[in-house]
Amino acid sequence: MENEYYTVSQINAYINKKLKFDNNLKNVYVKGEISNFKTYSSGHSYFTLKDEKSQIPAVMFKGRKHSLKFQPEDGMKVIIKGKVEVFERDGKYQLYATTMTEDGIGALYVAFEQLKKKLKAEGLFDDAHKKEIPEYPRRIGVVTAQTGAAIRDIITTIKKRYPYCEVLIFSTLVQGDQAAGQIVRQIKHAQEFDIDTLIVGRGGGSIEDLWPFNEEIVARTIYDCKIPVISAVGHEIDWTISDYVADKRAPTPTGAAMIAVPDTNEVKFKITQLNGRLNKNMKDMISQNKTKLNHISQKQILKNPESIYEIKAMILDNLVTKLELASKKNIVENKNKLLKLENRNILRNPEEILRMKREPYLRNLDKLNVLNPLLTLKRGYTLTKLEGKVVSSAKEVKSGDQLDVEFDDGVINTRVI
Amino acid sequence: MENLSFEESLEKLEEIVNKLESGDVPLDDAIDEFNNAMQLVKICENKLSVAEESIAKIVKDNGQIEDFNIQ
Repeated sequence: MENEYYTVSQINAYINKKLKFDNNLKNVYVKGEISNFKTYSSGHSYFTLKDEKSQIPAVMFKGRKHSLKFQPEDGMKVIIKGKVEVFERDGKYQLYATTMTEDGIGALYVAFEQLKKKLKAEGLFDDAHKKEIPEYPRRIGVVTAQTGAAIRDIITTIKKRYPYCEVLIFSTLVQGDQAAGQIVRQIKHAQEFDIDTLIVGRGGGSIEDLWPFNEEIVARTIYDCKIPVISAVGHEIDWTISDYVADKRAPTPTGAAMIAVPDTNEVKFKITQLNGRLNKNMKDMISQNKTKLNHISQKQILKNPESIYEIKAMILDNLVTKLELASKKNIVENKNKLLKLENRNILRNPEEILRMKREPYLRNLDKLNVLNPLLTLKRGYTLTKLEGKVVSSAKEVKSGDQLDVEFDDGVINTRVI
Repeated sequence: MENLSFEESLEKLEEIVNKLESGDVPLDDAIDEFNNAMQLVKICENKLSVAEESIAKIVKDNGQIEDFNIQ
Protein backbone atom coordinates (compact mmCIF):
# COMPACT_ATOMS: atom_id res chain seq x y z
CA MET A 1 0.00 0.00 0.00
CA GLU A 2 2.87 2.36 0.88
CA ASN A 3 4.26 2.02 -2.64
CA GLU A 4 1.00 2.91 -4.34
CA TYR A 5 0.77 6.46 -5.70
CA TYR A 6 -1.95 8.40 -7.41
CA THR A 7 -1.26 10.76 -10.19
CA VAL A 8 -2.40 14.40 -9.78
CA SER A 9 -5.06 13.84 -12.38
CA GLN A 10 -6.30 10.82 -10.53
CA ILE A 11 -6.57 12.59 -7.21
CA ASN A 12 -8.37 15.55 -8.75
CA ALA A 13 -10.71 13.24 -10.64
CA TYR A 14 -11.34 11.34 -7.43
CA ILE A 15 -12.17 14.49 -5.52
CA ASN A 16 -14.39 15.67 -8.35
CA LYS A 17 -16.24 12.37 -8.27
CA LYS A 18 -16.70 12.70 -4.50
CA LEU A 19 -18.15 16.17 -4.81
CA LYS A 20 -20.44 15.18 -7.63
CA PHE A 21 -22.00 12.58 -5.37
CA ASP A 22 -22.99 15.26 -2.90
CA ASN A 23 -26.54 16.32 -3.68
CA ASN A 24 -26.25 19.47 -1.59
CA LEU A 25 -23.60 20.82 -3.93
CA LYS A 26 -25.62 20.17 -7.06
CA ASN A 27 -28.08 22.95 -6.36
CA VAL A 28 -26.91 25.69 -4.01
CA TYR A 29 -27.78 29.32 -3.40
CA VAL A 30 -24.69 31.34 -2.49
CA LYS A 31 -24.71 34.92 -1.38
CA GLY A 32 -21.66 37.12 -1.78
CA GLU A 33 -19.94 40.07 -3.35
CA ILE A 34 -18.50 40.02 -6.84
CA SER A 35 -14.81 40.77 -7.37
CA ASN A 36 -12.42 40.39 -10.28
CA PHE A 37 -15.31 40.09 -12.70
CA LYS A 38 -13.98 39.38 -16.17
CA THR A 39 -15.65 38.30 -19.38
CA TYR A 40 -13.44 36.53 -21.92
CA SER A 41 -13.77 36.67 -25.69
CA SER A 42 -15.45 33.27 -25.49
CA GLY A 43 -18.35 35.03 -23.73
CA HIS A 44 -17.83 33.14 -20.48
CA SER A 45 -17.45 35.24 -17.33
CA TYR A 46 -15.05 34.45 -14.47
CA PHE A 47 -15.10 36.13 -11.07
CA THR A 48 -14.61 35.61 -7.40
CA LEU A 49 -17.48 35.53 -4.94
CA LYS A 50 -16.49 36.62 -1.48
CA ASP A 51 -17.70 37.67 1.90
CA GLU A 52 -15.80 39.22 4.80
CA LYS A 53 -13.91 36.05 5.61
CA SER A 54 -13.70 33.85 2.57
CA GLN A 55 -13.91 33.52 -1.19
CA ILE A 56 -14.73 31.04 -3.92
CA PRO A 57 -13.90 31.15 -7.63
CA ALA A 58 -16.96 31.31 -9.82
CA VAL A 59 -17.84 31.00 -13.48
CA MET A 60 -20.89 31.83 -15.52
CA PHE A 61 -20.95 30.37 -19.00
CA LYS A 62 -22.13 32.40 -21.94
CA GLY A 63 -25.23 30.20 -22.35
CA ARG A 64 -26.47 31.10 -18.86
CA LYS A 65 -26.13 34.82 -19.18
CA HIS A 66 -29.42 35.43 -21.04
CA SER A 67 -31.19 35.18 -17.67
CA LEU A 68 -29.26 38.14 -16.25
CA LYS A 69 -31.40 41.20 -15.57
CA PHE A 70 -28.39 43.38 -14.84
CA GLN A 71 -24.75 43.75 -15.72
CA PRO A 72 -22.65 42.23 -12.93
CA GLU A 73 -19.89 44.41 -11.63
CA ASP A 74 -17.22 44.24 -8.95
CA GLY A 75 -18.56 45.11 -5.53
CA MET A 76 -22.15 44.00 -6.32
CA LYS A 77 -23.87 41.86 -3.76
CA VAL A 78 -25.52 38.98 -5.53
CA ILE A 79 -27.28 35.69 -4.98
CA ILE A 80 -26.10 32.89 -7.21
CA LYS A 81 -27.86 29.67 -7.90
CA GLY A 82 -25.60 26.94 -9.22
CA LYS A 83 -23.46 23.92 -8.44
CA VAL A 84 -20.02 23.35 -6.97
CA GLU A 85 -17.65 21.14 -8.92
CA VAL A 86 -13.90 20.62 -9.29
CA PHE A 87 -12.02 22.12 -12.17
CA GLU A 88 -9.61 19.27 -12.51
CA ARG A 89 -7.00 21.00 -14.66
CA ASP A 90 -6.29 23.60 -11.97
CA GLY A 91 -7.10 21.42 -9.03
CA LYS A 92 -9.61 23.85 -7.65
CA TYR A 93 -13.26 23.65 -6.88
CA GLN A 94 -15.49 26.44 -8.10
CA LEU A 95 -19.04 27.71 -8.26
CA TYR A 96 -20.78 27.23 -11.62
CA ALA A 97 -23.51 29.86 -11.72
CA THR A 98 -26.79 29.14 -13.52
CA THR A 99 -28.64 32.28 -12.38
CA MET A 100 -27.54 35.43 -10.65
CA THR A 101 -29.78 38.09 -9.05
CA GLU A 102 -28.96 41.15 -7.07
CA ASP A 103 -29.07 40.43 -3.37
CA GLY A 104 -32.08 41.85 -1.56
CA ILE A 105 -33.93 42.43 -4.76
CA GLY A 106 -33.68 38.75 -5.45
CA ALA A 107 -35.32 37.89 -2.17
CA LEU A 108 -38.01 40.51 -2.76
CA TYR A 109 -38.55 39.18 -6.23
CA VAL A 110 -39.15 35.71 -4.86
CA ALA A 111 -41.53 37.09 -2.25
CA PHE A 112 -43.35 39.08 -4.94
CA GLU A 113 -43.80 36.06 -7.17
CA GLN A 114 -44.98 33.93 -4.28
CA LEU A 115 -47.58 36.46 -3.10
CA LYS A 116 -48.75 37.11 -6.64
CA LYS A 117 -49.28 33.41 -7.19
CA LYS A 118 -51.12 33.01 -3.89
CA LEU A 119 -53.50 35.96 -4.36
CA LYS A 120 -54.15 35.04 -7.95
CA ALA A 121 -55.11 31.53 -6.83
CA GLU A 122 -57.49 33.08 -4.32
CA GLY A 123 -59.16 35.02 -7.13
CA LEU A 124 -58.18 38.50 -5.92
CA PHE A 125 -57.14 39.54 -9.42
CA ASP A 126 -60.27 38.23 -11.15
CA ASP A 127 -61.95 40.66 -13.52
CA ALA A 128 -65.30 39.70 -12.02
CA HIS A 129 -64.33 41.57 -8.83
CA LYS A 130 -63.24 44.73 -10.61
CA LYS A 131 -65.52 47.72 -10.12
CA GLU A 132 -66.32 50.29 -12.80
CA ILE A 133 -64.51 53.60 -12.42
CA PRO A 134 -67.17 56.38 -12.38
CA GLU A 135 -67.00 58.48 -15.52
CA TYR A 136 -67.87 61.86 -14.03
CA PRO A 137 -66.74 61.84 -10.41
CA ARG A 138 -67.60 64.63 -8.00
CA ARG A 139 -64.93 63.73 -5.48
CA ILE A 140 -61.69 61.80 -5.76
CA GLY A 141 -59.70 60.44 -2.86
CA VAL A 142 -55.94 60.10 -3.07
CA VAL A 143 -53.94 57.92 -0.71
CA THR A 144 -50.32 58.99 -1.13
CA ALA A 145 -47.66 61.17 0.43
CA GLN A 146 -48.77 64.80 0.76
CA THR A 147 -45.30 65.83 -0.34
CA GLY A 148 -43.82 64.61 -3.55
CA ALA A 149 -44.40 64.41 -7.25
CA ALA A 150 -47.33 62.01 -7.18
CA ILE A 151 -49.87 64.26 -5.47
CA ARG A 152 -48.70 67.27 -7.47
CA ASP A 153 -49.13 65.40 -10.76
CA ILE A 154 -52.56 64.15 -9.78
CA ILE A 155 -53.92 67.54 -8.69
CA THR A 156 -52.44 69.34 -11.69
CA THR A 157 -53.89 66.84 -14.12
CA ILE A 158 -57.36 66.90 -12.55
CA LYS A 159 -57.39 70.70 -12.56
CA LYS A 160 -56.45 70.77 -16.19
CA ARG A 161 -58.87 68.13 -17.38
CA TYR A 162 -61.91 68.38 -15.16
CA PRO A 163 -61.86 71.17 -12.61
CA TYR A 164 -65.33 70.34 -11.26
CA CYS A 165 -64.09 67.61 -9.05
CA GLU A 166 -62.89 67.82 -5.48
CA VAL A 167 -59.71 66.06 -4.40
CA LEU A 168 -59.42 64.68 -0.86
CA ILE A 169 -55.91 63.75 0.17
CA PHE A 170 -55.25 61.00 2.71
CA SER A 171 -51.58 61.42 3.40
CA THR A 172 -49.41 58.42 4.17
CA LEU A 173 -45.83 57.29 4.17
CA VAL A 174 -45.19 55.49 0.90
CA GLN A 175 -41.91 53.77 1.71
CA GLY A 176 -40.24 52.13 4.63
CA ASP A 177 -41.47 49.70 7.25
CA GLN A 178 -44.28 51.95 8.48
CA ALA A 179 -45.73 52.60 5.06
CA ALA A 180 -47.88 49.50 4.52
CA GLY A 181 -49.71 49.96 7.83
CA GLN A 182 -50.38 53.63 7.12
CA ILE A 183 -51.55 52.98 3.59
CA VAL A 184 -54.01 50.39 4.90
CA ARG A 185 -55.29 52.77 7.56
CA GLN A 186 -55.80 55.60 5.08
CA ILE A 187 -57.61 53.41 2.54
CA LYS A 188 -59.98 52.44 5.34
CA HIS A 189 -60.28 56.05 6.46
CA ALA A 190 -61.14 57.17 2.93
CA GLN A 191 -64.12 54.82 2.89
CA GLU A 192 -65.76 56.90 5.60
CA PHE A 193 -66.10 59.74 3.09
CA ASP A 194 -68.41 60.19 0.13
CA ILE A 195 -65.82 59.51 -2.55
CA ASP A 196 -66.38 58.29 -6.11
CA THR A 197 -62.91 57.01 -6.92
CA LEU A 198 -59.81 56.35 -4.83
CA ILE A 199 -56.30 56.67 -6.23
CA VAL A 200 -53.65 54.76 -4.28
CA GLY A 201 -50.01 55.17 -5.21
CA ARG A 202 -46.74 56.99 -5.27
CA GLY A 203 -44.10 58.23 -7.69
CA GLY A 204 -41.19 56.27 -9.06
CA GLY A 205 -38.49 54.68 -6.95
CA SER A 206 -36.43 51.56 -6.44
CA ILE A 207 -38.11 48.23 -5.96
CA GLU A 208 -37.50 48.58 -2.23
CA ASP A 209 -39.16 51.98 -2.27
CA LEU A 210 -42.21 50.59 -4.01
CA TRP A 211 -42.31 47.57 -1.75
CA PRO A 212 -45.17 48.61 0.57
CA PHE A 213 -47.46 48.27 -2.46
CA ASN A 214 -46.39 44.63 -2.69
CA GLU A 215 -47.43 43.87 0.87
CA GLU A 216 -50.23 41.38 1.31
CA ILE A 217 -52.05 43.56 3.84
CA VAL A 218 -52.17 46.46 1.35
CA ALA A 219 -53.35 44.17 -1.43
CA ARG A 220 -56.18 42.76 0.68
CA THR A 221 -57.27 46.21 1.84
CA ILE A 222 -57.47 47.41 -1.76
CA TYR A 223 -59.43 44.29 -2.64
CA ASP A 224 -61.91 44.90 0.18
CA CYS A 225 -62.28 48.62 -0.57
CA LYS A 226 -65.88 49.62 -1.36
CA ILE A 227 -64.73 52.58 -3.46
CA PRO A 228 -63.31 51.78 -6.92
CA VAL A 229 -59.51 51.92 -6.65
CA ILE A 230 -57.02 53.05 -9.26
CA SER A 231 -53.48 52.00 -8.41
CA ALA A 232 -50.66 54.28 -9.54
CA VAL A 233 -47.32 53.05 -8.32
CA GLY A 234 -44.04 54.22 -9.81
CA HIS A 235 -43.54 54.23 -13.55
CA GLU A 236 -44.98 52.38 -16.50
CA ILE A 237 -42.55 49.46 -16.08
CA ASP A 238 -43.17 48.96 -12.37
CA TRP A 239 -45.79 46.36 -11.58
CA THR A 240 -46.81 45.84 -7.99
CA ILE A 241 -49.31 43.52 -6.31
CA SER A 242 -51.50 46.61 -5.77
CA ASP A 243 -51.67 47.00 -9.55
CA TYR A 244 -53.01 43.49 -9.96
CA VAL A 245 -55.61 43.73 -7.24
CA ALA A 246 -56.86 47.28 -7.93
CA ASP A 247 -59.96 47.87 -10.06
CA LYS A 248 -57.76 49.71 -12.56
CA ARG A 249 -54.00 50.04 -12.94
CA ALA A 250 -52.55 53.34 -14.02
CA PRO A 251 -48.98 53.48 -15.36
CA THR A 252 -48.21 56.65 -13.35
CA PRO A 253 -49.96 59.04 -10.93
CA THR A 254 -50.65 61.37 -13.88
CA GLY A 255 -52.14 58.41 -15.70
CA ALA A 256 -54.33 57.69 -12.69
CA ALA A 257 -55.74 61.21 -12.78
CA MET A 258 -56.46 60.81 -16.49
CA ILE A 259 -58.37 57.63 -15.82
CA ALA A 260 -60.17 59.14 -12.85
CA VAL A 261 -61.61 62.20 -14.60
CA PRO A 262 -62.77 62.86 -18.16
CA ASP A 263 -61.42 65.63 -20.35
CA THR A 264 -63.82 68.57 -20.19
CA ASN A 265 -63.34 69.32 -23.89
CA GLU A 266 -64.34 65.79 -24.78
CA VAL A 267 -67.37 66.00 -22.52
CA LYS A 268 -68.41 69.29 -24.07
CA PHE A 269 -67.97 67.78 -27.52
CA LYS A 270 -70.09 64.84 -26.48
CA ILE A 271 -72.87 67.13 -25.28
CA THR A 272 -72.71 69.10 -28.52
CA GLN A 273 -73.00 65.87 -30.46
CA LEU A 274 -75.94 64.69 -28.39
CA ASN A 275 -77.58 68.07 -28.88
CA GLY A 276 -77.05 67.77 -32.63
CA ARG A 277 -78.50 64.28 -32.75
CA LEU A 278 -81.43 65.42 -30.68
CA ASN A 279 -82.28 68.32 -32.98
CA LYS A 280 -81.80 66.34 -36.14
CA ASN A 281 -84.00 63.62 -34.78
CA MET A 282 -86.75 66.08 -33.89
CA LYS A 283 -86.50 67.80 -37.27
CA ASP A 284 -86.72 64.46 -39.06
CA MET A 285 -89.63 63.41 -36.94
CA ILE A 286 -91.54 66.62 -37.61
CA SER A 287 -90.91 66.51 -41.35
CA GLN A 288 -91.92 62.85 -41.48
CA ASN A 289 -95.14 63.59 -39.70
CA LYS A 290 -95.79 66.60 -41.91
CA THR A 291 -95.43 64.43 -44.99
CA LYS A 292 -97.76 61.89 -43.46
CA LEU A 293 -100.27 64.61 -42.65
CA ASN A 294 -100.08 66.04 -46.17
CA HIS A 295 -100.56 62.63 -47.61
CA ILE A 296 -103.62 61.99 -45.51
CA SER A 297 -105.17 65.39 -46.09
CA GLN A 298 -104.92 64.79 -49.85
CA LYS A 299 -107.30 61.90 -49.57
CA GLN A 300 -110.67 62.43 -51.35
CA ILE A 301 -112.71 61.78 -48.28
CA LEU A 302 -111.18 64.72 -46.46
CA LYS A 303 -111.21 67.01 -49.43
CA ASN A 304 -114.88 66.25 -50.00
CA PRO A 305 -116.37 65.33 -46.67
CA GLU A 306 -119.93 65.18 -48.14
CA SER A 307 -118.91 61.98 -49.79
CA ILE A 308 -118.98 60.32 -46.38
CA TYR A 309 -122.79 60.62 -46.24
CA GLU A 310 -123.59 60.96 -49.91
CA ILE A 311 -123.61 57.23 -50.31
CA LYS A 312 -125.74 56.79 -47.23
CA ALA A 313 -128.14 59.41 -48.50
CA MET A 314 -128.44 57.54 -51.75
CA ILE A 315 -129.24 54.33 -49.96
CA LEU A 316 -131.78 56.11 -47.87
CA ASP A 317 -133.42 57.67 -50.94
CA ASN A 318 -133.59 54.30 -52.52
CA LEU A 319 -135.32 52.81 -49.50
CA VAL A 320 -137.80 55.63 -49.30
CA THR A 321 -138.70 55.19 -52.93
CA LYS A 322 -139.19 51.47 -52.41
CA LEU A 323 -141.33 52.11 -49.38
CA GLU A 324 -143.46 54.62 -51.23
CA LEU A 325 -143.97 52.26 -54.12
CA ALA A 326 -144.87 49.41 -51.83
CA SER A 327 -147.38 51.37 -49.81
CA LYS A 328 -148.93 52.91 -52.94
CA LYS A 329 -149.53 49.46 -54.35
CA ASN A 330 -151.09 48.36 -51.11
CA ILE A 331 -153.44 51.30 -51.05
CA VAL A 332 -154.52 50.77 -54.63
CA GLU A 333 -155.17 47.10 -53.98
CA ASN A 334 -157.27 47.83 -50.93
CA LYS A 335 -159.07 50.60 -52.72
CA ASN A 336 -159.98 48.19 -55.51
CA LYS A 337 -161.23 45.64 -53.00
CA LEU A 338 -163.32 48.30 -51.37
CA LEU A 339 -164.66 49.50 -54.67
CA LYS A 340 -165.58 45.95 -55.57
CA LEU A 341 -167.37 45.56 -52.29
CA GLU A 342 -169.11 48.86 -52.65
CA ASN A 343 -170.20 47.95 -56.09
CA ARG A 344 -172.07 44.89 -54.88
CA ASN A 345 -175.84 45.31 -55.32
CA ILE A 346 -176.68 44.24 -51.89
CA LEU A 347 -174.84 47.05 -50.38
CA ARG A 348 -176.25 49.56 -52.74
CA ASN A 349 -179.86 48.41 -51.89
CA PRO A 350 -180.26 46.89 -48.40
CA GLU A 351 -184.14 46.82 -48.68
CA GLU A 352 -183.73 44.18 -51.32
CA ILE A 353 -182.42 41.81 -48.65
CA LEU A 354 -185.46 42.43 -46.51
CA ARG A 355 -187.67 41.95 -49.45
CA MET A 356 -185.91 38.77 -50.43
CA LYS A 357 -186.22 37.37 -46.88
CA ARG A 358 -189.81 38.52 -46.32
CA GLU A 359 -191.32 36.92 -49.40
CA PRO A 360 -190.62 33.28 -48.49
CA TYR A 361 -191.58 34.01 -44.93
CA LEU A 362 -195.00 35.26 -45.93
CA ARG A 363 -195.44 32.33 -48.25
CA ASN A 364 -194.65 29.88 -45.46
CA LEU A 365 -196.90 31.70 -43.07
CA ASP A 366 -199.89 31.17 -45.38
CA LYS A 367 -199.07 27.46 -45.59
CA LEU A 368 -198.86 27.25 -41.82
CA ASN A 369 -202.25 28.92 -41.42
CA VAL A 370 -203.84 26.32 -43.72
CA LEU A 371 -202.39 23.51 -41.61
CA ASN A 372 -202.96 24.94 -38.11
CA PRO A 373 -205.38 22.65 -36.27
CA LEU A 374 -206.35 25.33 -33.94
CA LEU A 375 -207.93 27.27 -36.80
CA THR A 376 -210.03 24.20 -37.49
CA LEU A 377 -211.34 24.40 -33.93
CA LYS A 378 -212.61 27.86 -34.71
CA ARG A 379 -214.79 26.38 -37.32
CA GLY A 380 -216.48 24.10 -34.68
CA TYR A 381 -214.23 21.08 -34.63
CA THR A 382 -212.81 19.78 -31.27
CA LEU A 383 -209.73 17.99 -30.32
CA THR A 384 -210.06 14.89 -28.09
CA LYS A 385 -207.12 13.91 -25.92
CA LEU A 386 -206.55 10.98 -23.57
CA GLU A 387 -203.97 11.65 -20.95
CA GLY A 388 -202.60 14.52 -23.11
CA LYS A 389 -202.45 12.54 -26.35
CA VAL A 390 -204.73 13.27 -29.32
CA VAL A 391 -207.30 10.53 -29.89
CA SER A 392 -207.74 9.91 -33.57
CA SER A 393 -209.71 6.58 -33.41
CA ALA A 394 -212.71 5.43 -31.39
CA LYS A 395 -210.89 2.23 -30.72
CA GLU A 396 -208.33 4.04 -28.62
CA VAL A 397 -210.82 4.67 -25.86
CA LYS A 398 -212.76 2.43 -23.60
CA SER A 399 -215.58 2.93 -21.17
CA GLY A 400 -214.68 4.89 -18.10
CA ASP A 401 -211.71 6.83 -19.74
CA GLN A 402 -211.51 10.46 -18.85
CA LEU A 403 -211.20 12.50 -22.06
CA ASP A 404 -210.28 16.16 -22.58
CA VAL A 405 -212.25 17.80 -25.34
CA GLU A 406 -210.57 20.99 -26.51
CA PHE A 407 -212.65 23.75 -28.07
CA ASP A 408 -211.40 26.89 -29.58
CA ASP A 409 -212.15 28.79 -26.44
CA GLY A 410 -211.63 26.10 -23.72
CA VAL A 411 -211.55 22.49 -22.56
CA ILE A 412 -214.24 20.24 -21.09
CA ASN A 413 -213.71 17.01 -19.24
CA THR A 414 -215.89 14.01 -20.18
CA ARG A 415 -216.23 10.38 -19.35
CA VAL A 416 -216.82 7.62 -21.85
CA ILE A 417 -220.03 5.73 -20.94
CA MET B 1 -84.23 67.52 -13.06
CA GLU B 2 -81.88 70.21 -11.65
CA ASN B 3 -81.17 67.87 -8.74
CA LEU B 4 -79.55 65.26 -10.94
CA SER B 5 -75.80 64.91 -10.78
CA PHE B 6 -73.83 65.72 -13.90
CA GLU B 7 -73.33 62.04 -14.59
CA GLU B 8 -77.04 61.29 -14.18
CA SER B 9 -77.99 64.23 -16.40
CA LEU B 10 -75.64 63.16 -19.15
CA GLU B 11 -76.75 59.54 -18.88
CA LYS B 12 -80.38 60.58 -19.08
CA LEU B 13 -79.67 62.81 -22.04
CA GLU B 14 -77.95 59.96 -23.85
CA GLU B 15 -80.80 57.63 -23.01
CA ILE B 16 -83.41 60.02 -24.44
CA VAL B 17 -81.44 60.63 -27.63
CA ASN B 18 -81.04 56.90 -28.16
CA LYS B 19 -84.72 56.33 -27.45
CA LEU B 20 -85.80 59.04 -29.87
CA GLU B 21 -83.45 57.70 -32.52
CA SER B 22 -84.99 54.27 -32.17
CA GLY B 23 -88.16 55.82 -33.60
CA ASP B 24 -90.52 53.99 -31.26
CA VAL B 25 -91.74 57.09 -29.48
CA PRO B 26 -95.13 58.55 -30.42
CA LEU B 27 -94.90 62.19 -31.55
CA ASP B 28 -96.57 63.72 -28.48
CA ASP B 29 -94.25 61.83 -26.13
CA ALA B 30 -91.31 62.60 -28.40
CA ILE B 31 -91.97 66.31 -28.11
CA ASP B 32 -92.10 66.04 -24.30
CA GLU B 33 -88.89 64.01 -24.31
CA PHE B 34 -87.27 66.49 -26.66
CA ASN B 35 -88.07 69.34 -24.30
CA ASN B 36 -86.69 67.34 -21.37
CA ALA B 37 -83.54 66.58 -23.34
CA MET B 38 -83.04 70.21 -24.29
CA GLN B 39 -83.30 71.09 -20.63
CA LEU B 40 -80.72 68.41 -19.81
CA VAL B 41 -78.37 69.81 -22.44
CA LYS B 42 -78.66 73.19 -20.79
CA ILE B 43 -78.08 71.72 -17.34
CA CYS B 44 -75.01 69.80 -18.47
CA GLU B 45 -73.56 72.79 -20.26
CA ASN B 46 -74.20 75.01 -17.27
CA LYS B 47 -72.45 72.61 -14.97
CA LEU B 48 -69.41 72.61 -17.23
CA SER B 49 -69.40 76.36 -17.74
CA VAL B 50 -69.29 77.20 -14.07
CA ALA B 51 -65.70 78.27 -13.61
CA GLU B 52 -65.05 76.03 -10.67
CA GLU B 53 -61.53 75.46 -9.54
CA SER B 54 -61.07 71.94 -8.34
CA ILE B 55 -60.42 72.17 -4.67
CA ALA B 56 -57.79 69.95 -3.12
CA LYS B 57 -58.22 69.25 0.56
CA ILE B 58 -56.30 67.17 3.00
CA VAL B 59 -58.01 64.91 5.52
CA LYS B 60 -56.21 64.82 8.84
CA ASP B 61 -56.05 61.69 10.95
CA ASN B 62 -58.67 63.14 13.28
CA GLY B 63 -61.04 63.55 10.32
CA GLN B 64 -60.59 67.32 10.04
CA ILE B 65 -60.45 68.63 6.49
CA GLU B 66 -58.13 71.46 5.55
CA ASP B 67 -57.36 73.20 2.27
CA PHE B 68 -54.34 71.81 0.54
CA ASN B 69 -51.81 73.67 -1.54
CA ILE B 70 -49.26 71.94 -3.69
CA GLN B 71 -45.85 72.29 -2.14
